[in-house]
Amino acid sequence: MKESITHKIIGDLSKNDEAVEKFIAAGDKDLLIDFSACTFISVSGLEWLESMLLKAGSGKVNVTFIELSTTLYKVFKVARIESILSACGSPAASSNSAAC
Amino acid sequence: MATTVTEQDLGLMDQVNSLARKARLAAAVFTQYSQEQVDAIVKAMTIAAIDAAQDLALVACEETKMGLVEDKILKNLVASEFQYHQIRYKKTVGIIKEFPEDNMVEVAEPVGVILGLSPVTNPTSTIIFKSIACAKTRNSIIFSPHLMAADCSNRAAQVVYEAALAAGAPRDFITWIDKSPRLRRITELLMVHPQVDLVFATGGTHMVKAAYSSGKPALGVGAGNTPVYVHKTANITAAATDIIISKTFDYGTECPSEQTLIMDSEISELLLNEFKRLGCHICSEEEVDKVAQTVIDERTGSMNYKFVGQPAKIIADHAGFAVPIDCKILLCPLIGELRKHKLVVEKLMPVLGCVTVNSEQDGINRALDINYAGGTGHTAGIFAADDDNIIEKFSQAINAGRIIVNSPTSIGGLGGVYNNLHTTLVFGCGTGGGNITTDNVGIGNLLNYKRVPKRSNFIMTFQTTKNIYINPGSLDHLRGVKTGVTFIVTSKSAAKRGHLAMVMERLPSQTRVDTFSEVGAEPDFNVIKRAITMMRQSKPDTIIALGGGSVMDAAKIIRLFYEYPDLKLNELAVNFLDFRHRLVVFPQKTTVQLVAIPTTSGTGSEVTPFAVLSMDQRKVSLIDECLLPDVAIIDANLTKTLPKELTVDSAFDALTHAIESLVSAYASDYTDGLALEAMRLIFEALSPVLDNPGNVLLRHKLHNAACLAGMAIGNASVGVNHALAHSLGMIFGIPHGKANSVFLLSTIAHNAKMPRKFTSISSYPLWIADEKYARAAQFLNLPVEKKTNGKLALAANIENAASVSLDAKDIIRDQREARKQLLIQALSRAIFDLLEKCGQAKSISELGISEDDFKAKLPDLVALAFNDLSLRTNPSFCLQADIAQLFIDSYPPRTRP
Ligand SMILES: [Fe+2]
Repeated sequence: MKESITHKIIGDLSKNDEAVEKFIAAGDKDLLIDFSACTFISVSGLEWLESMLLKAGSGKVNVTFIELSTTLYKVFKVARIESILSACGSPAASSNSAAC
Repeated sequence: MATTVTEQDLGLMDQVNSLARKARLAAAVFTQYSQEQVDAIVKAMTIAAIDAAQDLALVACEETKMGLVEDKILKNLVASEFQYHQIRYKKTVGIIKEFPEDNMVEVAEPVGVILGLSPVTNPTSTIIFKSIACAKTRNSIIFSPHLMAADCSNRAAQVVYEAALAAGAPRDFITWIDKSPRLRRITELLMVHPQVDLVFATGGTHMVKAAYSSGKPALGVGAGNTPVYVHKTANITAAATDIIISKTFDYGTECPSEQTLIMDSEISELLLNEFKRLGCHICSEEEVDKVAQTVIDERTGSMNYKFVGQPAKIIADHAGFAVPIDCKILLCPLIGELRKHKLVVEKLMPVLGCVTVNSEQDGINRALDINYAGGTGHTAGIFAADDDNIIEKFSQAINAGRIIVNSPTSIGGLGGVYNNLHTTLVFGCGTGGGNITTDNVGIGNLLNYKRVPKRSNFIMTFQTTKNIYINPGSLDHLRGVKTGVTFIVTSKSAAKRGHLAMVMERLPSQTRVDTFSEVGAEPDFNVIKRAITMMRQSKPDTIIALGGGSVMDAAKIIRLFYEYPDLKLNELAVNFLDFRHRLVVFPQKTTVQLVAIPTTSGTGSEVTPFAVLSMDQRKVSLIDECLLPDVAIIDANLTKTLPKELTVDSAFDALTHAIESLVSAYASDYTDGLALEAMRLIFEALSPVLDNPGNVLLRHKLHNAACLAGMAIGNASVGVNHALAHSLGMIFGIPHGKANSVFLLSTIAHNAKMPRKFTSISSYPLWIADEKYARAAQFLNLPVEKKTNGKLALAANIENAASVSLDAKDIIRDQREARKQLLIQALSRAIFDLLEKCGQAKSISELGISEDDFKAKLPDLVALAFNDLSLRTNPSFCLQADIAQLFIDSYPPRTRP
């Protein structure tokens, strides 16, 4: 297993976080992204997270989201983006639900 | 909808997926927004829409070639300004409503991604309306405009979207499908797209049907066909003016607008003249035919879309007759059978059918003809002064989501202009139109409502007989009782045992007394009726119930039916799951005073709100506060002559009451105290009284015990033991006290075990029956087996030590459990020993019931017990299998626990 480092997102996540992209480009460490100080995620923020996770995947960098507030986790749940949910450790969405 | 993606669709799927994904992300981001943020966005969108109202109306008219610019401006303003006025202070984020009396709140959850279909008739106003409603509710919306109005619709969407974005809305929360020949196919693909949560359709029947069959939740509207009844009491000029305003509004494109007038004959000529005077054309029979041929599509039988939203003059020109250029409406008298007339359908243009009727009944029936000719559930109108409830009669009959009174139905239906209906451009038609709602659809329909009910513990109360005289000799209370006429309800044995004489000689000398002594062991309703007939003669102010449980129960019912002869016994006796929700309502007050004087020490009926009666070979139980006697006299002198067998039977009934109320799911601190003390008195006095039956002190203890236990069950009720006993008593004719006795040891063992199934009673959150039995054993100071006492002391020491290891905690828990089990065993032993000492049967077999008979009747026994009300308050839920097992366990002779 690779050594990992933690990166904290501060404030609104509305654009690319260059520091994260650099870590992924370097590819030598796994990444923990700490959302404890993230106050808002915009549509652009969501799009960036998805593309960042794609890059990380091809560079074999494991990215894990930690310290998610309920508000942000709900955004991810409603957005239904598989790679983001998987970075949160969320179970895969099930298509067949049990009857009432 | 059977939508399969074809090869041709593959090129479209990128576009479809892109729209859906954009909307999905926007909906996700929107969940973070506060009410303040949302309201700022809504305000900015409204301002932009008001600013653009005129431009958008112009482009709508240009593109669709329908309607009137001035009216389209008004519609755009209704969609923006009027809607804003109604929703600006409405809460749509977080807790949106509180229900303090129900201990509940409602929390909003956005619907998510909405596919919004918009029509050709109201293109820009519908877009404005739905956009603002979606922003207010934090939903994203993908617009699918009508192909013939796509450019103006999308322009409207862009105007409000840009304003929203500038005010901070999520990117892409409003998107739209561009005008192209693929527009309809893209819409169909979106309707079944997994990312779309709701289809919000307004438009032609085809699109609405497609929306409803998409398999998605859908909000949509059906077609209208508005009948308007002009009653003879209407103000003729005002009615004609309103109808003209309405029917000419945007040249009739509004779906709630008037389609056929139904006119009372008394005013029809006046009304038509008024229309003529105000600039409408009354068509001749021949002209009506021409209009019908022009505006009705022969193939479909419905309106010809070429003439939707066109002025009257153009329609008349096409039909081939002349009207003035500014003719407002073509009024077409519909002659012949109305239901079959071509013009009976919806006509979104200034063509208005009319028919004359000779009565109110005829008027409403003809309105129903129109109402059910394609517009069920939509809109109707009535003009009337309402001096004979005609509006109410009309509303009862007509199936329409909005029934507009004395005002234009089109602008009236929009809401907010002529009335306080919710402003809308989407008219729910209910099931009549295949819709889920009859609402003026708006923000209220675009939210999921999360109800958050807090647990309600219902208010517990303690009630019993108000005045209870409790010592030997208290029968003397009767000397001072305020009564002119007393009616004594009693049994034959009361006279034999001398009780009747004891009562008579104490009643004030001037009292007139009538006595009814026909109450036997299990009185039925005929006995009650005979007593009441007698009471009607004597007109008493006081009833004295002198006897055992049957007598007191009968007296309670006699008083009730004497005072309320219209009550129905079978209704009063309807079974219930929860006392607070039961079907029947008992009278609130009784005026004849009821004095209960028990002569046995068992049922406690003198202080309970229960009364049991036989009816058609079964027992019915009445339960209500109004059955409580006003006075109870607990005088042990009356029990001195009670035979041994009855003494034991009734004492075990009382003991069962105490034990069952103690562990009841409705038990409270109040009933616990009574139950424990009742048990103590019985354990103390029952055995000695058998050797010394005339001892008043011992009799006094048993008499009080029965009364205390009565108060306990009167509030906490009984449990499974009584259910079993009632059943056994009924099927094998076993007296109640004996029947209770044979089950006691089994039901305690059953209830002391962790339930197989917990009982769902709000006020009984923790199962504690085992603790309660243990507490009873402690209270009664029963001897406990010594074998683990040393370990218990050790456990107590460990518990008191400053630091306790986990292992030690386990030991303590195990020891406590063991101690509890020993206490429960001690209680069971004490009951076994008492039964033994009294010579009371401890099992069913000892009652002389053969095993074969018992087995043969077992299914009936179980069925009867399972249906018994007593089960409701048992501390564990009893399954039918549990009940069967309890019967089986109670059959063989018992050994000491
Ligand atoms: Fe009983």
